[in-house]
Amino acid sequence: MNASSSVIEVSGVVTRFGSQTVHDGVSFTVGRGELVGLIGGSGTGKSVLLREIIGLDRPTEGSIRVLGTDIWKASAAELAAVRRRFGVMFQDGALFSSLDVAHNVAVPLLEHTRLAKDAIWPLVNLRIAQAGLPPEAGAKMPSELSGGMRKRAAIARALALEPEVIFLDEPTSGLDPITARAFDKLMRFLVDDLNITVFLVTHDLDTLLTVVDRLIVLARGKVVGDGPVREIVDLDDPWVRSYFSIRTMAATESGSERHGT
Amino acid sequence: MTKALDSAAAGRWVSLETSAEGATLRLAGDWRLPSLATLGHALQTARSVRPIVGIDGQALTALDTAGALVMLRHLQSLAVDPTAIAFDNFSPVHRRVVEVVLSRLHEITVDPVRHRRGIVAEIGFQTESLGHLLLGHLNFLGYVAGGIGSLLGHPWRLRTQELAAQFEQVGIRAIPVVALVTFLIGVVFAYLLGLQAARYGANIFVVDGVAIGMAREFAPILVAVIIAGRSGAAFTAQLGTMKLTEETDAIRVLGLSPMDVLILPRVFALVVALPLLVFVGDVMSNLGAMAMAAAMLDITPATYLERLSVALSMRHLWVGLAKAPVFALFIAVIGIRMGMTVSRDTRAIGASTTSTVVQGIVSVILLDALFAVVFQALEI
Repeated sequence: MNASSSVIEVSGVVTRFGSQTVHDGVSFTVGRGELVGLIGGSGTGKSVLLREIIGLDRPTEGSIRVLGTDIWKASAAELAAVRRRFGVMFQDGALFSSLDVAHNVAVPLLEHTRLAKDAIWPLVNLRIAQAGLPPEAGAKMPSELSGGMRKRAAIARALALEPEVIFLDEPTSGLDPITARAFDKLMRFLVDDLNITVFLVTHDLDTLLTVVDRLIVLARGKVVGDGPVREIVDLDDPWVRSYFSIRTMAATESGSERHGT
Repeated sequence: MTKALDSAAAGRWVSLETSAEGATLRLAGDWRLPSLATLGHALQTARSVRPIVGIDGQALTALDTAGALVMLRHLQSLAVDPTAIAFDNFSPVHRRVVEVVLSRLHEITVDPVRHRRGIVAEIGFQTESLGHLLLGHLNFLGYVAGGIGSLLGHPWRLRTQELAAQFEQVGIRAIPVVALVTFLIGVVFAYLLGLQAARYGANIFVVDGVAIGMAREFAPILVAVIIAGRSGAAFTAQLGTMKLTEETDAIRVLGLSPMDVLILPRVFALVVALPLLVFVGDVMSNLGAMAMAAAMLDITPATYLERLSVALSMRHLWVGLAKAPVFALFIAVIGIRMGMTVSRDTRAIGASTTSTVVQGIVSVILLDALFAVVFQALEI
């Protein structure tokens, strides 16, 4: 396994729910150390695709390889092994509500390593700090956290085992713009400083335009665009055009307003 | 100059090089999470008399933040300031990892201390929270009474549709389970009494025992316990979910009253439904006993009914039916309040629902004991 080989390989994925076809031959690859965003209108199956990649929902046809392992052909042991090498942040954090933040972060370490307790807690604290949470957040219960802190705690848990890939589902949804931008920085930090591959599903145009290396656009069941953000913006696709035109319009409007005052 | 101080195993990860200025740690191999425990040991064995002044990363094949953390904490444990150390020959990627951890190092404290209460403190704490709970229930009962009072002044505000829907849920749909359980209890009760009565040739008095016992005590208690588990729990789960999804807030903001829309329909529905269900229980338990009596004690259904009309005075039936609305009020108030006061935390709904069932059943039994004392005093 060499370091330059692709980290995520989706080829010919078809997903059908009854007579409804959500994905009709979706293929793309993600290389090591990339920050890739997946976008698409609602109902285009972004979240379903993410769930298929991380091994929760089975695609009707096609194959998905993560870190060289075919997720849907792997044995239970192989799947467990590859799951230890990637982290997932669910949309609302999905923290275990009966455990405080520190124990949430410790779960993967306690389950998958044989480290002594006194080796685990400093590591947990490092993860909490890396996710941008104050040290005292460790003793808090998930119900005591704001939405942004819950997401950070979820990142800390996803980082616990030092994963090679992190999957993020709508990492900035429901956050205020300042927190959201801090989150963008955090994602960039994961890629640039820790050399982690980040794959995210998002609608946050600021995230897309500022931190994402590459965009994959899902529309009509297929990948209609795949490339750097600048190229995608100019893509000749009806959905992409209306998506970015609405957003740019809003951006320029608020910009001119600011000029007026 | 260079001397490997330690065993080959430790030397695979760390070796020590001493010079005039001090010692330099040479790191080698994969310094990653999977080998973290070994790394800690290797560092322990690479002790030096001279202070550590530098760390060499040339032979590192991999370094992650966990590995860097162990190394930096080792320096801290030796009272060496990691920021004053020279990190030599680290690849840019590895240097970056060290810097990342170094920048966070001051935030990493020791394991947060967890407070464990002693047993006496725990008893006190639980007693206090029980007191709070009961006071809260009393308060809520007053609030509901106020709601009923205000509804009497404006009877058109009664949500008849919601009331009907709730009545269907808690009353009509509960008939099968209530009927089944009370029928079987009637069978068992008749069998139990029949065993004794047959020995004295007093078969016919089984009818008295079953009819009076079921009507006065067992049907109300049994049905109330079933409903506490069925509808009380449902109230808590429904209202708790509505609270979490801010539906109750939406009701308030839309200018509706949760009292009219949510609380009173449930209370009225249960208060009306429970006596009716108890009556279903009275009938079914006698049917069960009748079946058992015919099979076991040679009492024909006709004889059973004849004896029933003599043995069971209306007084007994009324005593049982009169208790039911009181049970219902408590079950409803507990279920609703537990639902409306869940904290914003998905785990809370489960805990509250469990608590509702326990509280409902205990309150039914306490109330029944209270009724027994009162009826005894009144000689009913």
